[in-house]
Amino acid sequence: MSNSLTPLTAPTESRIQEIGSAEILVGIPSYNNADTVGHVVRAVSVGLAKHFPGCRAVLVNSDGGSSDETPAIVARTAIDFQYLFIGDQQSILHRIITPYHGIPGKGSAFRTIFEIARRLKIRACAVVDADLRSISPEWIELLLRPIMEEGYDYVAPYYLRHKYDGTITNSLAYPLTRALYGQRVRQPIGGEFGFSGALAGHYLEQHVWESEVARFGIDIWMTTEAIASGARICQSFLGAKIHNPKDPAADLSAMLTQVMGALFALMEQHEGLWFGQEGSQPVPLFGFSYEVGVEPVHVNVERMVAHYRQGLTDLEPIWRQILTDHTFTQLRDLQGTSGAGCHIPDELWVQVVYDAATAYHTRIMPRDHLLKALTPLYLGRTASFVHATQGLTSTEAELKIESLCHTFERMKPYLVERWQPLSLQPTAPAPLHHATTDAGGHHGELH
Amino acid sequence: MENFINQALLKPLELLGHQVVTVLPNVLAMGIILLGGLCTAWALGVFSERLFRVIGFDHLCDRLGMNAALLRGGVKTDPSRLVGRGIYWTVLVLASIAALGALNLTPINQFAQSLLAYVPHLVTASVILLAGYFLSNFVSRAVLIAAVNAGLPPARIIATCSRWGIQILAGAMALEQLGIAQHIVVVGFGITWGGIVLAGAIAFGLGAADLAKGFLEQRLVARSKSSAVDDLHHW
Repeated sequence: MSNSLTPLTAPTESRIQEIGSAEILVGIPSYNNADTVGHVVRAVSVGLAKHFPGCRAVLVNSDGGSSDETPAIVARTAIDFQYLFIGDQQSILHRIITPYHGIPGKGSAFRTIFEIARRLKIRACAVVDADLRSISPEWIELLLRPIMEEGYDYVAPYYLRHKYDGTITNSLAYPLTRALYGQRVRQPIGGEFGFSGALAGHYLEQHVWESEVARFGIDIWMTTEAIASGARICQSFLGAKIHNPKDPAADLSAMLTQVMGALFALMEQHEGLWFGQEGSQPVPLFGFSYEVGVEPVHVNVERMVAHYRQGLTDLEPIWRQILTDHTFTQLRDLQGTSGAGCHIPDELWVQVVYDAATAYHTRIMPRDHLLKALTPLYLGRTASFVHATQGLTSTEAELKIESLCHTFERMKPYLVERWQPLSLQPTAPAPLHHATTDAGGHHGELH
Repeated sequence: MENFINQALLKPLELLGHQVVTVLPNVLAMGIILLGGLCTAWALGVFSERLFRVIGFDHLCDRLGMNAALLRGGVKTDPSRLVGRGIYWTVLVLASIAALGALNLTPINQFAQSLLAYVPHLVTASVILLAGYFLSNFVSRAVLIAAVNAGLPPARIIATCSRWGIQILAGAMALEQLGIAQHIVVVGFGITWGGIVLAGAIAFGLGAADLAKGFLEQRLVARSKSSAVDDLHHW
C-alpha cells in the first residue's frame, strides 16, 4: 500500500487549501471537448444545486492538455438558476481546473481527481465524461445519492442503448465480469461512475498508476477493483447515453486491446477471488426505468465478416497458438457451413475468450500481439450477434445477451480447468476501509 | 667401424632420444589438457543441459517459436540439449587449442592464436544472426496482425517480406563481421535492397495507384465518410 501523495500543480494545491474540505466532488476528465464540456458543466452545476443544495461541492476538471478552449469553457460556464426553479441553492460550487501529471490517458486524469477528493476529505464523488450530450442534472443525483444516503460505495451506470451499441460491453466485458466475479454490473465500462471517498482513497493506494491502466482500461479496473475490495455496489438508471460521435472504424484493435488486456490482467490479479465463484447475483438498480427511442445504428456486416475470414486464413498460425485445437477446428469447420455469413455460437465464443485468457496468462506470445490478433475474431462474433438479432427488439436482443452470460457462467469450469494459478494459495484482495471524518478532520477506520 | 656406428647410427638415435625426452613432457601435458578438457566439456555440457531444462528454457524457446523453426530445419533435438552440446564442443575445441599450444611448436602456436583471434568474430556473428532471427519473427508477426486488422489483402506477403528483409540484413551483417567477402556483401546487399525498394515503388506507383489514392483518402480526407458506412459503437 502506498500513502504517498499524487503530485498536484501549485495553483491546485493553493485552491485546495482555500476550499479546505467538501462533501461532494464531481470530476470531469477532458481532452479537446470544447463542443460539449459546457453542457456537461451546466448539467453538473444544476444537478448539485437542485439535489444537494446544502452540501459543499467541488467540480474538478482534470484536463489532458487540450489545445481548444476546454478548460476556459469549464471556468466561465455560468448558470442562471432563476429559470430552473432552483431557489434554495445554499453553497457555492467550487471549481478546480487542473492539468494532470503522469502517463497521458483517462486513468491519470482520474488519479488527479481521486487525489483532490482525498485532500478535501470528500464523502461522495462522481465522474462524468466531457463528451456527453445526453447528461441531465438527474444523473448527478442518481450517481451520488446511493452513496450519500444508502451507504453504497460504488455506483455503476445503467444506460438504455441500441442493441448494436456497446458491442464490446455486450459480448465481452459484461458477461466475463459477471461470470468471474458473480456481480451483474450491466455497464462495467460505462464511463460515468459514483463512488465513496473511502473507495477513492482505496483506488489511490493501488500500484497501477504507472501501468497501462493509467492510460486506458481505467473503467473496467474501477469496477473490478470495487468488487474485489468488497465495496457495496449498485447501479443507477441514467436513460440514454449519447456522446460525441467517434470514428467507429478507428483503432478498434487498440480499443479491444485496452479492454481485453485490462480484463485479463485483472483476472491474474484476482484469481484467488474468482476461482471459486459460481453463478452471479443481481446488483440493485436505482432510478426510474423507462423506454426511450435510441438512435438507429447502421452496421456493415459484410465488412466484419470479410475481416473475420481474412483472419481465419492469414492468422491461422497465431490463432492455433492461442486457441485449443478443438476450438480452432470448430471455427474452421464453421466457415464451410455458414455460407457468406458468420455464425459463431455462444459456446464457441466463450471457448475463444477463455482460451485467449489462458494464453494471455501463460504468456504464450507477446501479449500485445495476442490481444490484437483477436480483433477479427471479435468482429466475427459481432457479425454473428447482428445476424442472430436482426429484426429483434432491444428487449429481445437483451435476452440473447442474458443467454450469453449464462453460457459464460455455465462454462466457467472450462476456464478453471485450463488456468494455472500463479500461486496455489488464494490471494485475498485488499479490503476497502471505510473512513469517517470527525469534526477535527481526523480520519478513522470503520470495520 | 666403431666411429661409424657412433656417428651414423647412435648419434641420430641419441639426438632423437633427446628430442623425444624434450617433447615428451609437452606431449604428456597435451594429453593431460585434452583429458581434462574432455572431462570438463562433458561435465559442463551435462550440467548446463540440465540447468537449462530446469529453468524452463525449452518452454521459453517453444513460446519464441524456436522449436518450430528447428523442426522446420529438420532438427528434432530439444533446445536444452542443443545448448549442452554447444557448450561441450566449445570447451572441447578450446581445450584442443590449449593442448596444441602445450606442444610449443611455432606453426601450431600461430594457428592456435589465429583461431583464437577469430572466436570473438564468430561469437558476434552468431549473436547478430540469433538477434536477427528473433527480431524478424517478432516484426513479421506484428506486421501480419496489423495488416490483417487494417484489412489489407496481401497481409501475408507484407509480413513475409518484413521477415526476410530483416533476416537478410542480419545475414549480411554477420558475413561482414566474419570478414567473408566484405565488399561484395555490402555492395550486393545495397544493390539488392535498393532494387527491391525501387521495384516495389514502381510496381506500387503503376499497379496500385487507385489503392494508394483510396488509402490516403480514407486516412486523410474521408473520416466522416467511413462513419456513414458503419456507425457501430463497440465500446
